[in-house]
Amino acid sequence: MEITLLLQGGLNGIMLGLNYALIALGLSLIFGIMGIVNFAHGEMYMLGGYVAYFLIGGLGLDFFSSIIAAVFIIGMLGMLFEKIIFRPLMTRPKEALTSLIAAVGLAWVLQMLAVIGFGDLDRKVPSTFKGIIDMGGVVITKERLVTIIIGIALVLLLNIFLLRTRMGMAIRAVAQDKEAAALQGVKVSRVSAISFGIGCALAGSAGALMSPIFSVSPFLGGEVILKAFLVVILGGMGSIPGAMLGGLVLGFIESFGSLFFTVPTVSAITFSLIILILIIRPQGLLGHE
Amino acid sequence: MNKKYKITYFVYGTILVLLFVIPIITQEAYVFHILCLIGINIVFACSLNIILNIGELNLAHAAFMGIGAYTSTILVMRLSLPFWFSMPVAMLVSAIISLAIGFLTLRFKGAYFLLFTFLFAELVRILLSNFWIGLFGGIPGLTNIPRPSITIPGLFQTEFTSNVDFYYLILVLVIITIFVMRRMDVSRLGLLFRAISQSESLVESAGISATRFKILGCAIGCCFAGLAGSLYAHFVGIITPHDFSVHAVLAPIAYVVVGGMGSIYGPVLGTSFLMVLSHFYLRQLGLYELLIYGIIIVLIIRFMPEGLISIPRVISPWLTKLSRKE
Repeated sequence: MEITLLLQGGLNGIMLGLNYALIALGLSLIFGIMGIVNFAHGEMYMLGGYVAYFLIGGLGLDFFSSIIAAVFIIGMLGMLFEKIIFRPLMTRPKEALTSLIAAVGLAWVLQMLAVIGFGDLDRKVPSTFKGIIDMGGVVITKERLVTIIIGIALVLLLNIFLLRTRMGMAIRAVAQDKEAAALQGVKVSRVSAISFGIGCALAGSAGALMSPIFSVSPFLGGEVILKAFLVVILGGMGSIPGAMLGGLVLGFIESFGSLFFTVPTVSAITFSLIILILIIRPQGLLGHE
Repeated sequence: MNKKYKITYFVYGTILVLLFVIPIITQEAYVFHILCLIGINIVFACSLNIILNIGELNLAHAAFMGIGAYTSTILVMRLSLPFWFSMPVAMLVSAIISLAIGFLTLRFKGAYFLLFTFLFAELVRILLSNFWIGLFGGIPGLTNIPRPSITIPGLFQTEFTSNVDFYYLILVLVIITIFVMRRMDVSRLGLLFRAISQSESLVESAGISATRFKILGCAIGCCFAGLAGSLYAHFVGIITPHDFSVHAVLAPIAYVVVGGMGSIYGPVLGTSFLMVLSHFYLRQLGLYELLIYGIIIVLIIRFMPEGLISIPRVISPWLTKLSRKE
């Protein structure tokens, strides 16, 4: 009984953790390349959820195509925002502060547009996979299992892209040293646009992925950005493995914590713990100075 | 005194006199309710501006306002201390807590201060909503907060129960705040803050500890946030943890950015402009009001980074050119 409960908690933790990791990876990538704390990141997640809602519920598309569509649509949207809002700010003084405020404004606009366009009700996305799998007392719905598998696949894809392709190499080079990368012939503006697009696409894919499990609402973004910040602080701002580790740690804390404590106690403990980590290791668990 | 200064002082003087005689024109409670809120928000926006001046964004700024509001309220209601004592204490408590946070986070470059303050704001909200409910009142917060009163025996007595009376109290405090900000801006300290926001390493290379002055700037800013909180609590009479969440700092960011970051009168102008606009003209727009706010923030940051206050400077070369042609 006790062991199955723990395993159950572990499975839920992995699912939550992958979700958080996908969001935080994008946030971390954008920060690493451009130095922008993208406050509108949660809204990308929310919009990804709505893409899935309209494609699955409205057009009757299947789950996988809707995730691919969310990746492309939200990725394009991200590149558009990068081009018309953030890129011009980068050449001005105090770019970190002004881009952050612009992102705050953008988040606000997107949230309100979603309320006006989609209504403020919680929308339920119909689930594609029905039924449960029973593994000796540890029960998981097929839906959650598929979510975990796709989540792992997306993280692996990102890693292959960053480690094995030319563009991935260029992105890592810019993250390390912008000037040196530019001197080697890397087109920094293109790398920024693509990283911003990929970062947003990751959040969008997470939103679409989670939409059948948690319902979609215009106010999702605020909650999500909070979690993403926690993860990024845990793992280290700008560190890709850190974002993955941080996501899983937060997923496990929430999943196991809710087995033993009430929700406010869990959040109070989580926040105090993370503040403590920030004080002892300001660069995060896996970040560099 | 040259002509330019004469005009400036004339303009400020006229505005001041107008502000003091508004009650002669109208006595409507709603108008003064909004004017008081504008005054409180001006204090808050000015205090946020100090933090922006040192090149950081404090997402827990509303939480410091909350700390001030709760401190002041608890001192007045639980310990029956007078408002005139609890208000400075509220300012002091906000400043001391911000000193601790500044000391922990401002040593590090990058986004740490931002992330930390984000966490801190949420932590404060969680603590106020769920713990020590007997003291903080939980999610419904604290209600029936009394207004302050002044009694000078045999001469003068008021309880500030009418909005018009409270308006004068807030007006005086706003003027004091702006005066302090102005003095600070032209002092060595203000110059240092500006230098730090432009290049921290240059300041350090001159042998000045940028970190120490950033911590000081943060504490001064949060001190005035505490003042705004204390005024808000005693003016509105109800405070809840939700009033001071991360989202509560978004509108003031808009005020400062729209008015003009880094200048003294920018936040004053931005707060007055946006609040008058929203309370007297955009009220019926509901959700669209927030949408318009968001669009205004993005457009101003993108196309007019110095805010509305820079309009005269932008158009004055234009005007001189035009007048020369004629």
